[in-house]
Amino acid sequence: MKTLWSKTYHWINERVELDGLVEFMGKKYVPVNSHSIWYYFGGVSLFLFIIQVVTGILLLLYYKGGEALAFESIQFIMSKVQFGWLIRSIHSWTANLFILTALIHMFSVYFGKAYRKPREITWVTGMLMFFLAMGFGFSGYLLPWNELAFFATKVGTDIAGAVPVVGKPMMVFLRGGEEVTGATLSRFFGFHVAVLPGLFTVLLGIHLLLVQRQGMSEPLSYEEESPKERKTMPFFPNFLLRDMLLWLIVLNLLAILAVFFPWELGKKADLFASAPAGIKPEWYFLFMFQTLKYIPGKVFVFDGEVLGIMTFGLGGLLWLLVPFWDRKSSRGERNRFINYIGLFIVLYIIILTIVGWIL
Amino acid sequence: MAESTEPMDTQENRRDFLKYFLGGGLIAWLAAILYPMMAYLKPPKQAEVEVTSVKAGKVGAVEKDSGTIVRFGNKPVILLRNAAGEFRAFSATCTHLDCTVQYRKDMGLIWCACHNGRYDLNGRNVAGPPPRPLDEYRVVIQGEDILISKKA
Amino acid sequence: MNRITRMMMGIALLVCVSANALRAQDKCLSCHEATVGGQPVEMFKHDIHHAKGISCAGCHGGDSKTEEMDQAMNAKAGYIGVPKGDEISKACANCHANAAKMKSFGSNLPTNQFQNLQESVHGKLATNGKERIVQCTTCHNAHGIVAVRNASSPVFPLNIVKTCTKCHADAAFMRMYNPSLPVDQLDKYRTSVHGIRNAKGDAKVAQCASCHGSHDIRNAKDTKSKVYATNVPSTCAHCHSNAEYMKEYKIPTDQFDKFSKSVHGVALLTKHDLGAPACNSCHGNHAATPPGISSVSKVCGTCHALNADLFSASPHKKAFDDRKLPECETCHSNHEIIVATNKLLGVTSEAVCSRCHSEAQNAKGYAAAKAMRSLIDSLENNEKKASELVNEAEQKGMEISEAKYKLRDAHQARLESRTMVHAFNEGRFREVASKGLVVSATVSAEATDALDEYVFRRIGLGLATLAITILAISLYVYIRRIERRQAKGVQ
Repeated sequence: MKTLWSKTYHWINERVELDGLVEFMGKKYVPVNSHSIWYYFGGVSLFLFIIQVVTGILLLLYYKGGEALAFESIQFIMSKVQFGWLIRSIHSWTANLFILTALIHMFSVYFGKAYRKPREITWVTGMLMFFLAMGFGFSGYLLPWNELAFFATKVGTDIAGAVPVVGKPMMVFLRGGEEVTGATLSRFFGFHVAVLPGLFTVLLGIHLLLVQRQGMSEPLSYEEESPKERKTMPFFPNFLLRDMLLWLIVLNLLAILAVFFPWELGKKADLFASAPAGIKPEWYFLFMFQTLKYIPGKVFVFDGEVLGIMTFGLGGLLWLLVPFWDRKSSRGERNRFINYIGLFIVLYIIILTIVGWIL
Repeated sequence: MAESTEPMDTQENRRDFLKYFLGGGLIAWLAAILYPMMAYLKPPKQAEVEVTSVKAGKVGAVEKDSGTIVRFGNKPVILLRNAAGEFRAFSATCTHLDCTVQYRKDMGLIWCACHNGRYDLNGRNVAGPPPRPLDEYRVVIQGEDILISKKA
Repeated sequence: MNRITRMMMGIALLVCVSANALRAQDKCLSCHEATVGGQPVEMFKHDIHHAKGISCAGCHGGDSKTEEMDQAMNAKAGYIGVPKGDEISKACANCHANAAKMKSFGSNLPTNQFQNLQESVHGKLATNGKERIVQCTTCHNAHGIVAVRNASSPVFPLNIVKTCTKCHADAAFMRMYNPSLPVDQLDKYRTSVHGIRNAKGDAKVAQCASCHGSHDIRNAKDTKSKVYATNVPSTCAHCHSNAEYMKEYKIPTDQFDKFSKSVHGVALLTKHDLGAPACNSCHGNHAATPPGISSVSKVCGTCHALNADLFSASPHKKAFDDRKLPECETCHSNHEIIVATNKLLGVTSEAVCSRCHSEAQNAKGYAAAKAMRSLIDSLENNEKKASELVNEAEQKGMEISEAKYKLRDAHQARLESRTMVHAFNEGRFREVASKGLVVSATVSAEATDALDEYVFRRIGLGLATLAITILAISLYVYIRRIERRQAKGVQ
């Protein structure tokens, strides 16, 4: 085994010169401290994304788009295709877990101020990927063409249409028409399997390349300690193996979820039926949805909903650009203000999600 | 030095033991991943999902003055085409005891084989035990396709 | 007044005075008798009101104690002349709706007739728009009114028919009010047992008023009518369940009891299903007669058409007719028709087939009955089992909607075989039942597959978890070993 491995390496090395790269990689290390646990979340997100790609491709082999067959083809996958139930449930569960781990990863980077110079682009690509992930979730949710998804899409695209000036054309673009129809389904399918994956891959490539090139970000406290005091572990093989172990456990968790909590299919969408009571979007949109519900219809002269959307938009933009306006962290100084904002946002999201879920 | 070889020996054994476990575990894990995937890729007995309800077929496929049963989700729907070529659709579940009704060309109406219940071509119960008319469904012709949907 | 008239009046007065005591009190009567005479006077002499001491003035008003016409027939004394239209009934109601007044004459007659009449179908406005269709005098006459039990009363049981048909057999008249109402009731009635006995002089049998009521006659579609579908059984039972009343006729009086317990009775009387038959649906209305032996299946067949058709073409038709066995009734009974369960079919003691078929006698039928019963029992059991399996799979969260849809065919086959029994042909029965058995088997297999899959998934998960756990533990140990070595190396 060992000689086969070294022979293969040698063959490639003669042509591509891997030695330099391998030496570089060998020097990569990961800080070891009480916050080390958070370092794993980026990797887990990556792992979950890979699972999505694999299960997504497998589903593609049996899924049939279009109003007439989408729902039935998923029924088919769940009941007739061997292990179809497993692939589909894993795909649906992973989608949710992916967004959750991405959120945790993002917040851990935020609180660790890892976005500071020189890692601004890493942060930006990461945030853009996060927005794309929400897009993945929104578009993928519609693909089974069931009742809940149909109405959630209706409500979601309605809200998008409320944005001033560009809202209406954006809504028509998303829906493939004025209303949510089979045309919407076709579009969302295209977004979900072609457009978003393409964009995401590019951003992911940049993100990973930068992480490898720049190495792991150290917490600000390390600046004050001497090199000897800074505890670390090599990326290869220690951190990688630990990563693998975690990924293994996550995979098992997904299998357990798929068997004991299979993802529901519900009823087929009926364009002419009225919306069931209490319709709400998936949990990762809930905090925004619930916020919009609380804003009064009219705030001074502005329409309440539009104001809410614009506020979220502005908030998102500011969040995206935090490396550029948090000067203190770039200088290596503590920034309590960032922590307070972050804490507020986290609590806000958690509380409103819970409220939105219960009510 | 002889003393250190003993622990080295047992350490070697432990290492082999572990390597076996690791290797075996890895293979088992791969099998647990690959087996479902391979099985998934094998086409199931029923190769394709069947065309069901909403698109009930092509206009040309349904003759004039005839009726056919179409599956609408979990319920049967009877699609009628009258002599003038117009389409109508009704629930095919008899309102008496849930049998599936059929179109009788000789009687010119919808008939239930179980207890001789009869409905006119508007779905109204006109003879026999059925207590209520049949629910009507909407039929829309899109080009060559017949689409059936629930009545609003 | 001229002299001749006055003289005539004097003679009349003498005549009046020489009349008997009673008539002497009713000066109207005595005067009219002596002068104009006529039918009213003759009839009133036999009138019950006259017998009770009520004078002409009792209805016409005025003063009956004086012979002076001016005083007697004076509006100031209450004289209303010959009442027309609704005035007639109002005049009767003056006393007959007044309980105290009726008591004072020693009468126990009900006093709600006028109110009932007003609310009845007869109380509606006539075509001339000025009065009700029927007044009291229409049926009771004006001047010769006698008690109902008096044989000369137009409303005496034997005479009622003639009274009602005065209008109700007149097509031209009835056309003015209800063109769709038939006018042949009398003809039909005369073919019935009731009508025949009534013609012979039996005052106990049913006539028009017995079923339709007298003053409170309502349209048959009116829920308060005695002949509204849900009320018909109790109307018939009024006589037909009264053992004392029916003693001399020597027919059973338990039909209503039996009917109330039957499927039809429960449907009609408890669930108010107007599709269910009342007595008249099978026996007829005015021509009420139990259906003949060979026509029972036709009567039942008006609703149970498929069964009747099958029966008529079956070997049982000739067999029953030859033995003078009433068709449907022999197996299903006539009044106490209970829900037909599988137990009715077959060769057990509860089954009706075994009444004629045994291994020794009519053996072919015995074999057929046995086979059909076992088929339908299996069909029912298999369908039930398949349905249970499907439910179990569904509860466990397995996708089983297609199999569930197929179950409808099993249900349909079971219903169709219950009808097909009436062909009494094992081959045809088997054909229908087999469809259901095949479907049930298919569905059971699919459901069992789903349940097996459920178990398979959990076992598979267990094995995969085992593999992953082994791998995870080994990996962890491996990591520890590397790190230990690294730590040692550093030192």
